[in-house]
Amino acid sequence: MRMDRRQFLKAASAGVAATGLGGCAAAPSAPKARVVVVGGGYGGATAARYVRLLDPSIDVVLVEPNEAFVSCPLSNLVLGGFKGMADITTPYTGLERHGVKVVRDVATAIDVDKKQVRLARGAALPFDRVIVSPGVDFMWEALPAMGSADAQARVLHAWKAGPQTAALRRQLEAMPDGGVFVITIPLAPYRCPPGPYERACQVAAYFKSAKPRSKVLLLDENADVTSKGPLFKKAWAELYPNLIEYRGNSKALDIDVAGSTVKLEFGDQKGDVLNVLPPMKAGNIAAPFITVNRRWCEVDWLTFESKAAKNVHILGDALQIAPAMPKSATMANGHGKVCASAVVNLLNGETPNPAPTLVNTCYSMVSDKLAIHVASVHKYDINDRTFKAVPGSGGVSSAMNEAEGTYTMNWARNIWADALG
Amino acid sequence: MKPHFRALAGLGSVVAGIALAQQPGAPAPAFAPSHLTGNGPRAMAMTCAPCHGTNGTTAPGAPFRPLAGRSQGETIEILGQFKAGTRPATVMHQIAKGFTDDEIAAIAAYFEAQR
Repeated sequence: MRMDRRQFLKAASAGVAATGLGGCAAAPSAPKARVVVVGGGYGGATAARYVRLLDPSIDVVLVEPNEAFVSCPLSNLVLGGFKGMADITTPYTGLERHGVKVVRDVATAIDVDKKQVRLARGAALPFDRVIVSPGVDFMWEALPAMGSADAQARVLHAWKAGPQTAALRRQLEAMPDGGVFVITIPLAPYRCPPGPYERACQVAAYFKSAKPRSKVLLLDENADVTSKGPLFKKAWAELYPNLIEYRGNSKALDIDVAGSTVKLEFGDQKGDVLNVLPPMKAGNIAAPFITVNRRWCEVDWLTFESKAAKNVHILGDALQIAPAMPKSATMANGHGKVCASAVVNLLNGETPNPAPTLVNTCYSMVSDKLAIHVASVHKYDINDRTFKAVPGSGGVSSAMNEAEGTYTMNWARNIWADALG
Repeated sequence: MKPHFRALAGLGSVVAGIALAQQPGAPAPAFAPSHLTGNGPRAMAMTCAPCHGTNGTTAPGAPFRPLAGRSQGETIEILGQFKAGTRPATVMHQIAKGFTDDEIAAIAAYFEAQR
């Protein structure tokens, strides 16, 4: 085979690279430090990628039980029938290309003294610093009959995108026309404040075309819609007249699973498909680091280091939020970057950024094409040592519009690429 | 604070739909001074990535041009127009108001240097 000069140079440089790697393997230069990230959601995946981006000499191991990342944002469009599961699923292979070692396992404990993460199957992973992005777990004790695995298999939350998203869609498809779809909403704070109201829009959009005699009923423990209220109410009235009913101050006390009924403080509400969002707390792996109301974890906002344990950093929905800070994907992505930057600084003996900034943009799709947003900019207050919204910044859409529908899909593509490589 | 300012502030937060932590009459936040040197500009620029891509390089199909490689002057001009409310916007007018002019200049310089 003849080789031209270009091919020759390519082959030669590949040879050099291979020799270099071989040399490394023969006499491995010890990495500067090892960071273990627990949980590959928006916060954890972003943190893992950005530690590598900011300092490739640091070893990063991501522990994640799921084979691929499934996005909660946009998962309501699967319920509406406008997206499939594949559209909201991204593999972790992109992170591997950035040098993140992805370990598919379940973290069972974080041993702060031994500085290692224990796994369900594999050997414990030692760390210099651990970044825990545990998401939320559900407080089933608030709905006693929902405590059993059987009940949880029948009455779905679909508040962690994945098999439950597809299963809830199947329940909606199987529901007869004329049926009632009931969503129960817990008292704030909970993951994704506008999510339940967006879900109502998406399911109503499906009913409007496929099952027009059906109804969506929102039973909200909050007094009123907790996010983008006027915009959602306008969308409900204009796009889905008589398809969505909203009841505030409606606290679910328990679920009669066999009777498909929500038990409320005042009376019971039957539904054909129940979608129950229980109260939430920091994901179970972070339980030792919970410091507020037996639910949430507090951190030093400059580093995201836990107030309960050294060398343990916590991100995302599991946190006791700063004022006006939503439990959102964009916010978790921002947490991941501030935390990754600080962890890299600390492992290099440097001072973390004294003035971190977080920007939140949350889009909600009120139909297959129309969207609304809420946005905010947060900076660090040196007196109160917390993030605060910058006065005069932020706000919501002036009206639902198609441009923001396009921007929603653009946001998804970019944040997935930003977090997952 | 004068009463009519207080009323306006209240209306603003209702319109914004954000439960701003600041109560009427509460002291203004004491934000840390802008970090404009070292990794400060990059840290601020990272907040653009969810919509504009890592380091300003957008994922395929973006409905706007990438920030990476844009001249500092152009980015300053556009963000200034968003901030002043003179450029049509859906969300950027609200986000630009969260940054000082010096911060915008630092972010713009950072993106100019990205390829």
